[in-house]
Amino acid sequence: MTASTMSMSITRLTWINVTKDLRLEWRSRDVFNSMMFFALVVVVVFSFAFEREDSRPVMGGLIWIAFLFSTTMALNQSWARELRNGVLDAYRVSPAPAEALFLGKCLGNFILIMLLECLMSPLFVIFYNLSSVGPLWQLAMIALLGTWALVVNGTFFAAMSIRTRNRELMLPLLLLPISIPAVISMVTATSQVLTGEGAPVVQMKFLAGFCVIFTTACFLLFETVLNAE
Amino acid sequence: MKTKLFSVFAAISAALLIYGTYQGLFVAPTEETMGDVQRIFYCHVPAASTGFTLFFINFLASIVYLWKRSPKADALAVTAAEVGVVFCSVVLITGPIWARYAWGVWWSPWDMRLNTTLMLWLLYVSYLVLRRSSTGGATSMLASALAIFAFLDVPIVYMANRWFKTHHPSPMIGTPNLDPQMQHVLFINMIAFFVFGGLITWFRYELERGTQKINTAYVRQAAGSSAMLLLPAMFLAAPPHVNPHAYLWAGYLVTWGIYLSYLLFLMNKLGKLKKEAAELKAS
Repeated sequence: MTASTMSMSITRLTWINVTKDLRLEWRSRDVFNSMMFFALVVVVVFSFAFEREDSRPVMGGLIWIAFLFSTTMALNQSWARELRNGVLDAYRVSPAPAEALFLGKCLGNFILIMLLECLMSPLFVIFYNLSSVGPLWQLAMIALLGTWALVVNGTFFAAMSIRTRNRELMLPLLLLPISIPAVISMVTATSQVLTGEGAPVVQMKFLAGFCVIFTTACFLLFETVLNAE
Repeated sequence: MKTKLFSVFAAISAALLIYGTYQGLFVAPTEETMGDVQRIFYCHVPAASTGFTLFFINFLASIVYLWKRSPKADALAVTAAEVGVVFCSVVLITGPIWARYAWGVWWSPWDMRLNTTLMLWLLYVSYLVLRRSSTGGATSMLASALAIFAFLDVPIVYMANRWFKTHHPSPMIGTPNLDPQMQHVLFINMIAFFVFGGLITWFRYELERGTQKINTAYVRQAAGSSAMLLLPAMFLAAPPHVNPHAYLWAGYLVTWGIYLSYLLFLMNKLGKLKKEAAELKAS
């Protein structure tokens, strides 16, 4: 098999994984509905908890806490689905590269979370009477980078935590400490854009660096985690 | 032979620690602005260096494990992480005691230096929790992968330290800003803590090898939980203005409290292990 057909097949396999995940989700919608409702509840509860005239300085934290928790919920489910009927074991014996499976899962989750963020953002505007001082394209960039940082590590650690005894409990314990640098920089950057103070570009570069480093590490180590026995 | 060597090592470590603590408490000159509270420095900084070195050893051992699959490397990795968490707990508790006097607050939430140390502590506690809750042969593989991830955060955090503001005093070791006599005392304490760290690591490593050999699962407490129990008491015990010596003694007491409780924990583990071995032999 030549190199070009090999790379073709990885792209194709990834695509098959993404469409399969999204199709399953579209038919059942169980993850998306619960995730959406959870995020909505968080937004409403926070709006009661924080009564302030100017909500901009704390909004960065609130937005990302809501997304972080909903992401954790969604990621736990994404691998649990593969455990039924021994699908994960079938993956392990199949000749398809593990990276394609991982990338497919990541992209599927990424699309799902981005969709959630697009639907939730208007709610933040309504409940907190929010408007941004800084440019909107920066917020969009932070959302893309931040979501990728959460999803790539989250998918990896969800695969790790389903191998342990207390499956769902393990994911936040592993994911949150690892993601602290990313969470700090996305919260800071979002607050800086919203208030128009500071230099969010520095934080965005930091976030981009984080994404590159951890995406590489996930790709290198995923096969080890999948086959750990 | 091994036991003899261990006893000699333990005696050297005890002598160094007693000498270093004596020097730090009574011989080193009193700092001008902070007064006697600054003496916490002599157990805070060496504990930090030892802890971070142990985390680095954990990282190296995990790579070796992924590469060679040797159970020795795995034993070293878990040992280094656990002892590192104990030393890191000392840093995280003596730091706030000092800060309460020097800065007037226990913790400065946006200080990157503080946050990153806490983050490292959390990461390695999560490493120990993962080891405890996964089953069978998968444990070592999963834990090694997590150790590599945990260590990847360190350089990121190091860069972040340069970009964000920090109140934490910058490192002064080897700079002319530090009084030569203080330098000397710090140096002694540094050696004492490294030897002590090496000693506990060795002890813990032998225990881990024993456990591997007996191949029995133990309910393992995440180290540092004893430290967490001490933490709330600290907030109750300190009225706003007390004399600096209270803070100094608190710092040293907490440090030794943690080390001794960890040693007791290891002794307990050793006792259990011996019992188990005896039962195995009998059956």
